[in-house]
Amino acid sequence: MLQAEHLIFQHPGAARRFDLSFTASPGEVTAISGQSGAGKSTLLDLVAGFLVPVSGTLTLAGRDLLPLPPEQRPVSILLQSETLFDHLTAARNLELGLAPATARAERDRLIAAALDEVGLSGVLNQRAATLSGGEKQRVALARTLLRNRPVLLLDEPFSALDDETRATIRTLVKSLTERHGWITLLVSHHLDDIEALARRRYRLVDGKLTEA
Amino acid sequence: MTNPRILPDRPLRTLSGAAVALAIAALVAMVLWAIFTTASDSTAQPPRVDVWHLVAMTTIQAGLSTVLSLLVGVALAWALNRLRFPGRDLVVGLFASAIVTPGLIVAFGLLAVWGRAGWINQAALALTGHPLEIPLFGLGGILAAHVILDASFAARILLARLDAIPAARLKTGQSLALTAWQRFTVIDWPMLRGSLPGLAAIIFLLAFTSFPIVLLLGGGPANQTMEVAIYSAVRLDFDLKGAVQLALVQIAICSAVIVAAAAFAPISAATGASTEPRWRDRGPARLLQRGVLVASVLGFGLPLLAILVNGLGPGVLDVMARGSFWSALGSSLLIGTGSALLTLLLALGIGLGRAATPRPSLRTGIGAPAYAYLAVPAVVLSLGAFLLVRNAGLVPETAAPAVVLCANALLSLPFALATLAPPLDAIVRQRGRLIRSLGLGGWQQFQAVEWPLISRDVGVVLALSFCFSLGDLGVIALFGTQDFVTLPLLMYRALGAYRTNDAAAIAALMLVITIAAFVLLPKLVGRLTDAAS
Repeated sequence: MLQAEHLIFQHPGAARRFDLSFTASPGEVTAISGQSGAGKSTLLDLVAGFLVPVSGTLTLAGRDLLPLPPEQRPVSILLQSETLFDHLTAARNLELGLAPATARAERDRLIAAALDEVGLSGVLNQRAATLSGGEKQRVALARTLLRNRPVLLLDEPFSALDDETRATIRTLVKSLTERHGWITLLVSHHLDDIEALARRRYRLVDGKLTEA
Repeated sequence: MTNPRILPDRPLRTLSGAAVALAIAALVAMVLWAIFTTASDSTAQPPRVDVWHLVAMTTIQAGLSTVLSLLVGVALAWALNRLRFPGRDLVVGLFASAIVTPGLIVAFGLLAVWGRAGWINQAALALTGHPLEIPLFGLGGILAAHVILDASFAARILLARLDAIPAARLKTGQSLALTAWQRFTVIDWPMLRGSLPGLAAIIFLLAFTSFPIVLLLGGGPANQTMEVAIYSAVRLDFDLKGAVQLALVQIAICSAVIVAAAAFAPISAATGASTEPRWRDRGPARLLQRGVLVASVLGFGLPLLAILVNGLGPGVLDVMARGSFWSALGSSLLIGTGSALLTLLLALGIGLGRAATPRPSLRTGIGAPAYAYLAVPAVVLSLGAFLLVRNAGLVPETAAPAVVLCANALLSLPFALATLAPPLDAIVRQRGRLIRSLGLGGWQQFQAVEWPLISRDVGVVLALSFCFSLGDLGVIALFGTQDFVTLPLLMYRALGAYRTNDAAAIAALMLVITIAAFVLLPKLVGRLTDAAS
């Protein structure tokens, strides 16, 4: 269970003060909706460790996450853009999800299995810049599988996709979340994404979350 | 300030950057200390030259060079932004190469075109029977050479600003049917004016500290500048203390300009490619653009062409048959390669260290020593190094190669850092989140993310510093000996001995090596990186 209680945060010079409390369970998608500028991405930055709250608690299965720097937090992130390093091949992007010391044979086996699970093949040697939006998100999801972290943060990940691809990737996210028991936190202002995926929903208004 | 939490935690990088910065600061401090202690010697005599006249002459020359270079640079950038023609990339590349074209070569090229025995005079003599009286030696020649080099440099920077105008703004202007003048004042000028003060400061410093051009085209003491006066005091008058006092004045003025320039927007050395314009000026504006372009290409290209045509004749074989040429070539290539690699190491150390810390004061502290050269120019730096080596009880001749290599690396460092620091900063700012969330180590970050993205810039840095070193006369002029000679010094000595044909051949070979290095090195490094990835 990922639990936040009264995470207090204020951007320097900004008037709005965030006071965030929520609960997210393993194996399900929890959605955060709100208008543009409501602070949805701020919430994800707080969970990922890119922002530090003034006070409050953030725990995963009872473990305090706040003292941990971003790279040590048990989370993977999928953004709308900049999800992959465009100058690297898909294979090299995937390798970055594994420990550097992983043996080549093991690395190849894990990457093939992850790609198989997200239903992608034949792109390993392509530069990320040449992949379509849907392929990029699949590669990023495959990397998430390789990283094997219990929390997945999705920041408007379907916004740049066409309707058909969007539906496919949504289904993939849902099935991976259920299969691997991930705690998936989805930030979106698209109602159809939320309806298709989320079992629990929060709405962010005036710096506070209310369960819908 | 960047959110410090999105920056990957790299204390070792910050420490290494600080160590490099401290080492450079210590070296420059030692050089300055050597100069100050010599100046404070109680037996010091006042310099034999009129210091205030020198300051006035140097300032007037640098001020005029700056104003003229900016005027021509703006006009040329404007023309290049608007015109499309076959070979345009080559022309843009020609102007971009101005930054590495040795001043000695440009000055010599001007003589080959406009001098008494130059192409123009020969043509006038053939056509009219009378030679033209073109006053090339003196302020006119110095200004012409500076404008050729500095206006081309300015045009390349300003062209990048014009190319960066958002397409939506151009569409709005076009839909409003703005005239060419309105377009320039409403759309172009706001993009250009922010870069002009910083650019002016750099050009002023380049012209103020110009050495080979004034040495060759100055035409005597009346047009002497500080740098040449310092060189003359050391090499010709053996007046070391007088030189030191001139050096102090020089350092004070350059430092004042740098402090003033620090308030201006920085100039990025990075330049992008121009896209196809959808909006072309018409009528007289287009004619004017063509006129500006043709005049600029002739002004910059003719002296270089003259160097190649005059130098690459049968005389080049005579020069290449001499051992002194191969020895000088070997020294130049060794010093150039060594100083290019040293520059890259220093710039990477400082650039990675700066990018790793979000604290503005620490970033400034790590970056500032790299700009030491702008305050302590080549001749002053080598004078200080000369005194330091002498005070340490060493024979200057034995330390010469190491001193020249280090001094050349320091001279290139401001340009290297201006090239590498912005992309390194941008990578950390834009990809820091992803790098941190993936938990990449420092080496992984460098090898997988930073190196592939900066490899072309690394090539540019290697090319710039190699070419700067190859064309340097300021440092080698004080440290050169009979046995330790580089190509520019060999060429200068040939000129001094009135062996003009030898000088022309050496100039042509230097120009070929410079252009080849400037064009090929960035491509080579880019290809090697692509192949490796």
